[in-house]
Amino acid sequence: MIAFERVVVRYRGADRDAVHDVSLEARRGRMTAIVGPNGSGKSTLVRVLLGRQPLVSGRVLLDDRDLRTLSRTDVARRVAVVTQREELAFPPPVREYLALGRFPHRGARRAGAAADRDAMERAVALAAVRPLLDRTVDTLSGGEWQRVRIARALVQGGDALVLDEPTTYLDIAHEMEAFELLAQLAHDGMAVLLVSHQLNLVARFAQHLVLLHGGRVAASGTPDDVMRGEVLERVYGWPLVVTRDPAVGAPALVPLRGRPRAAPPYTHRPSDP
Amino acid sequence: MTRRAGRWAAALGVLVVLMLLSVALGAVRLSPADTVRALLGRGDPTVITIVRVLRMPRMALAVLLGAGLGISGASLQGVMRNPLAEPYLLGVSGGAAVGAVIAVSLGAAAGLVPIAAFLGAIAAVSVAFLVAQAAPGRGDSRVLLMAGVIVGAFANAAIMLLLANADADTVRGALWWMMGSVGDAAWGQVGWLALYVSVGGGLLVAWAREIDILALGEDAAAGLGLDADRAARRVYLVASLVAAATVAAAGLVGFVGLVVPHIARRMGAGGHRAVILGSAVIGAALVVAADLIARVALPPAELPLGAVTAIIGVPFFLVQLRRLR
Amino acid sequence: MAAPVARRAVVPALRTSCPNQGCLFLRLRAALAVAPFVFAACSRPAHQPARAHAPVIDVDDFGDTLRAPAVPPARIVSLNPTTTEIVFAIGAGARLAGRSQWDSWPDSARRVPSLGAAVRPNVEAVLAARPDLVLLYASADDRPAAARLRQAGIPVAAWRIDRIDDFRRAVRDLGALLGDSARAATVVDSVDRTLARVRAATASLPRVSVFMPTWENPVIAIGGGSFLDELITIAGGRNIYADLAAPSPTVALEDVVRRDPDVVITSPDGRARILADPLWRGLRAVRAGRVYAYDTTVVGRPSVVLGAAAVSIARLLHPGILP
Repeated sequence: MIAFERVVVRYRGADRDAVHDVSLEARRGRMTAIVGPNGSGKSTLVRVLLGRQPLVSGRVLLDDRDLRTLSRTDVARRVAVVTQREELAFPPPVREYLALGRFPHRGARRAGAAADRDAMERAVALAAVRPLLDRTVDTLSGGEWQRVRIARALVQGGDALVLDEPTTYLDIAHEMEAFELLAQLAHDGMAVLLVSHQLNLVARFAQHLVLLHGGRVAASGTPDDVMRGEVLERVYGWPLVVTRDPAVGAPALVPLRGRPRAAPPYTHRPSDP
Repeated sequence: MTRRAGRWAAALGVLVVLMLLSVALGAVRLSPADTVRALLGRGDPTVITIVRVLRMPRMALAVLLGAGLGISGASLQGVMRNPLAEPYLLGVSGGAAVGAVIAVSLGAAAGLVPIAAFLGAIAAVSVAFLVAQAAPGRGDSRVLLMAGVIVGAFANAAIMLLLANADADTVRGALWWMMGSVGDAAWGQVGWLALYVSVGGGLLVAWAREIDILALGEDAAAGLGLDADRAARRVYLVASLVAAATVAAAGLVGFVGLVVPHIARRMGAGGHRAVILGSAVIGAALVVAADLIARVALPPAELPLGAVTAIIGVPFFLVQLRRLR
Repeated sequence: MAAPVARRAVVPALRTSCPNQGCLFLRLRAALAVAPFVFAACSRPAHQPARAHAPVIDVDDFGDTLRAPAVPPARIVSLNPTTTEIVFAIGAGARLAGRSQWDSWPDSARRVPSLGAAVRPNVEAVLAARPDLVLLYASADDRPAAARLRQAGIPVAAWRIDRIDDFRRAVRDLGALLGDSARAATVVDSVDRTLARVRAATASLPRVSVFMPTWENPVIAIGGGSFLDELITIAGGRNIYADLAAPSPTVALEDVVRRDPDVVITSPDGRARILADPLWRGLRAVRAGRVYAYDTTVVGRPSVVLGAAAVSIARLLHPGILP
């Protein structure tokens, strides 16, 4: 549904490309994850989708239509993006926050009001946020806030959901919750594209992985294809092993201890146990 | 009626009462019967003059001034995502003051001072925009904020230079202008401020949803299909123009644009459409009340309007601060 | 009129090329803003007092024509210490219905009700006094009030009295307005006679160079544009700042030292401050102890006391000359 074709991006004043010759595809019905170390160009791709960063060359297609030929509103109706962070100076109640997601559909056909309500209902049900509707967003916990943000993206009503580092500030339980929700959405037919550095979770839930390194695609394919020790070690620059936990059934990355460094002298203090 | 709607009905009621009091009270004591007769054009011609020529336009100007400042402040706070934003932020007050002081020191006719103030405000906002464009990260509201501060500081320096060697009349005239007053209100002025406030206010209310979206941040706004830069820029422009119009009409009246949107939010206004409209009502009430106090506190002397709005506004603001978590 | 001037200024501004849409938009808004205010400024008050046939007395300092009233005004509001005093001198003090809070001469003026500020007066309060003549100080701040009062049909006269000639003119005009030109002429004659007497007494004496500050921080001197400068000359002195055209120019202390006055004359408070401030010892006059305080009851306002003020200053400059 979303396809990047040989995309090249360079920031103003930079001496090398942020993204070079990257091609990847996020199809409906599956979860695609873009992974890689910091600065590998993951978030840049999201900015390109948002129209906030111009391409040097290459193109981005939404269902075979070039991104540049579509208006931002058209794009917003098809693709919903959940950005890394949102801080609201004047926190609204969740209900109103969700309603903002219908913005791309404003002024379209006036029959919109019913469509708006339906979209809200569907999103609230899918993300299971009904009990939160009357609370203001600044009273939500991290996990609740993330679900609400995903709900708002769903309210937009498109077929594609793009998320930039959606679980960075969440604990294990909420992380798993979020990923399970995303997996369900993918299973139900949406194209879910997420950028994450949580390799292990991504390996369990995503059907397609794209590993970026220095702005280029270092590997892509199923989690098994991509999660290989040599590739990952090279890309992340850290000794690691890839194991497979039978309980989980997906490859998992385990970083090893680094080269022993000269530790600072430790003097025992009377107050220490 | 829901509780929220009830509160707003009460607010409107308070505004109407204040408007009536503003016409009924003043430096000269008039009986309510006399006031009503004068409003209808009957009775003592002097009383008619006092009520219709002096007090009515003044009250109308105060209403528009408060509404304009409220609308402008609410819009700017939303688009800058900053609860401390206010209408004079982008150099409006500094530029207007420079324009007015130049006009006063050149001995310009009284009718030209508002024009000079308006042009000065526009010039200052334009310069602030240009300065912000030159910096990287142009869309960032903080850059615009800083540009406004720079322009304001420059304007203050210019004013000090102009006043340092000016004669006593110029200094007094300039100072009085800067303290704000609706005392010279005439229907012509009221008409033009009404035009700016209604057209500007109408535009800002129409863009209220966009301001709601902008509140999410520029990336999120882009994700929802909004050209954040363009949307933000036109809100800045129109909000500053409305503010400039109020300054041209009545000088510098501080605190209103800052405090009123907070009160509106406290009263339960949700999206920016409600906040902007609510701020118009509360702003009008605040300025009418302040002008009333300015006139009746120490008759026949008149307190400067800007001082009274600050005196009333500060306690409100302190209450706000205490309620912050 | 304001309109042609403003238009001439605005149109060229619009013609210079605009780099982009936003600039054009802004300029258009600016032009839209200018026009209405220009029209407002140009509008004449709806109601003109019906005195088209009355003889013209003069044009006041606001540029308005003063005409002789059919009936002498019975309720006068004077918002200027000078004009209040003149009204009393012409013998019309009993007809004063209001004064400003600063009008305290002569003593009987204090019994007239105070209507507040002299500059930017409270128009409501003035109207409530039901005047048929209002006297104002002609500063730009007072124009709106003057316009309002005229709109309400009340004759307004505004003067700016900086020089002794302005005083003579104001007294004559006031006399005509109050219906007692003869009395007014006597007032002017009396002042002129005293001034002539002082001038004659000091004519042959050596000029004393005088510095007259009205404020010390910053130093504000009496310049060539003020009646006090004229009084100094009449009293046998030479104002070291007569070459500056303004009535009260700001000057630097260094410059005062350079001009080296023989004598410093100022208010009693000013004298105390100068004597207490070590910086001023740079002046020869201060070191020689020749810092004098003038009599504030007569010096400082360009009113009927001008003659007495000249005498007072002459006595300071040339002691014993006028018993």
